[in-house]
Amino acid sequence: MDRDVLRRLEKLNQLSLTEEQKDDFLAFFAKQEQEIDKLYTKDTEQVERMVHVMPIMTVVREDIEKKLFERDDLQKGAPETTDGYWQVPRTVD
Amino acid sequence: MNIYLNKNEKASANAVVLDDLFLTKDMPTTGGSMMLKGYMSLFDAEVISKLSAAGYDIAGKANVGEFSVDLLGETSYYGACAKDDGTLTNACAEWLNAGEATAALCFDINGTPRRAAALCGKTYIKPTYGTVSRYGTIAIACSGETVGVMANNAADCGKVLSAIAGHDDKDGTSLSEAECAQVKNGADFTKIKKIAVAKSICDSADDATKAKLAKFREVMSAQGIEFVEIDDTTLALAKTAWNVCMSAELCNNVSRFDGVKYGHRTSNYKTIEELYTNSRTEAFGELLKTIILFGSETLSTDNYMRVYDKSLRIRRVVVEAFAEIFKEYDAVLMPACAKTSYTMDDVKANKYLSFDEALYTAPASLTGLPAAVVGGVQLIGKAFSEQALLDAAAAFEKEDK
Repeated sequence: MDRDVLRRLEKLNQLSLTEEQKDDFLAFFAKQEQEIDKLYTKDTEQVERMVHVMPIMTVVREDIEKKLFERDDLQKGAPETTDGYWQVPRTVD
Repeated sequence: MNIYLNKNEKASANAVVLDDLFLTKDMPTTGGSMMLKGYMSLFDAEVISKLSAAGYDIAGKANVGEFSVDLLGETSYYGACAKDDGTLTNACAEWLNAGEATAALCFDINGTPRRAAALCGKTYIKPTYGTVSRYGTIAIACSGETVGVMANNAADCGKVLSAIAGHDDKDGTSLSEAECAQVKNGADFTKIKKIAVAKSICDSADDATKAKLAKFREVMSAQGIEFVEIDDTTLALAKTAWNVCMSAELCNNVSRFDGVKYGHRTSNYKTIEELYTNSRTEAFGELLKTIILFGSETLSTDNYMRVYDKSLRIRRVVVEAFAEIFKEYDAVLMPACAKTSYTMDDVKANKYLSFDEALYTAPASLTGLPAAVVGGVQLIGKAFSEQALLDAAAAFEKEDK
């Protein structure tokens, strides 16, 4: 991990760190790399990955249209709306 | 102390306080983050409906660290949960101390409520993953986070857990009604008779914590419970595997906070990219940013197999290690945290302390197993053995005068 990779990560995650925060992150990441190395004390070549601990399957339900919320209510928490739409800056010139 | 975010002045004596990570229609829900300042949900979390049906009032919302991934609440945008002398505390525990709630619902995302119960002298139960609905909680680390109950004693924990456990169609990770009923009604588990002691994990704690472990063993041994120290090398691997999984899941889960549909929007933007970046940069605290970036990197093409996939394989290894232990033992004893007190200076010196402390909380988080905290120590049990854990906690409470 270096500053170039970190810059790419910041952009990807839409975040911007100060120079001091970048130094802190790089030190944190180096420490985590050491911790990750310890996982390799255990051979898991033949072990199947476990995403969920319980046997959870994709839940399928009937595709029935239901009106749960009114548009006005949904937009009560919106930072900015115009004519019932969420307002953002122009995205296409 | 910054413990109150919202208080229901009309609540009866039979009231439960909520971590501010449960959506409520009539009170704002912030998750301790500037991102959700003033956010009003359109619906209540399922557990609130269940509490209400069981006759409980909501006492109010308790302050939490930003999305509860920190040590004890020190990263809350609304003020750290700390006493005047800088000692960290926990808002739910303080509500209980003040007699303003009979129990607290905590969202155990990254072990905070277990640390809090251990440090504040409360009893706590984290139930088996999938037995309490997560519908209407602020999802952060979906594969391991669980709604838990903190109270002054095991009996109160049990009553509230019984009220909130149950299948919920609205939660895709909810277990069947038959499975949830084991938690709701108290499964007919054999009482805990033989406890495995996670030796190296216990040895890594400070002397005051070791004294609490010794006290627990002394009190329970007098009641005929046998303790045997075991090799816990595999269980200790849960720490890093969980830190990776939690970070990767958090990174994806908080990507929804972008300043467009709800939450904080920067006033400093011209383009849509600036709107996203400045909104998130302004509203998220430093620890959260660190976890987002770390989680994102573990999922990158270069690291996915080496780090993330490896952690998921380690999860199975740890689950199987517990299964092996439970062939011979009824529970595993370990601390819930390394020390008996933390200060603001501790978290200033190490902002990432919750990553280190995962040594104690990750084994139950990663595996979804139930865990009880009593007398400052943690007991991890078999799936659905909540009642047995609470019975053991109650037995300790009775003798620990």
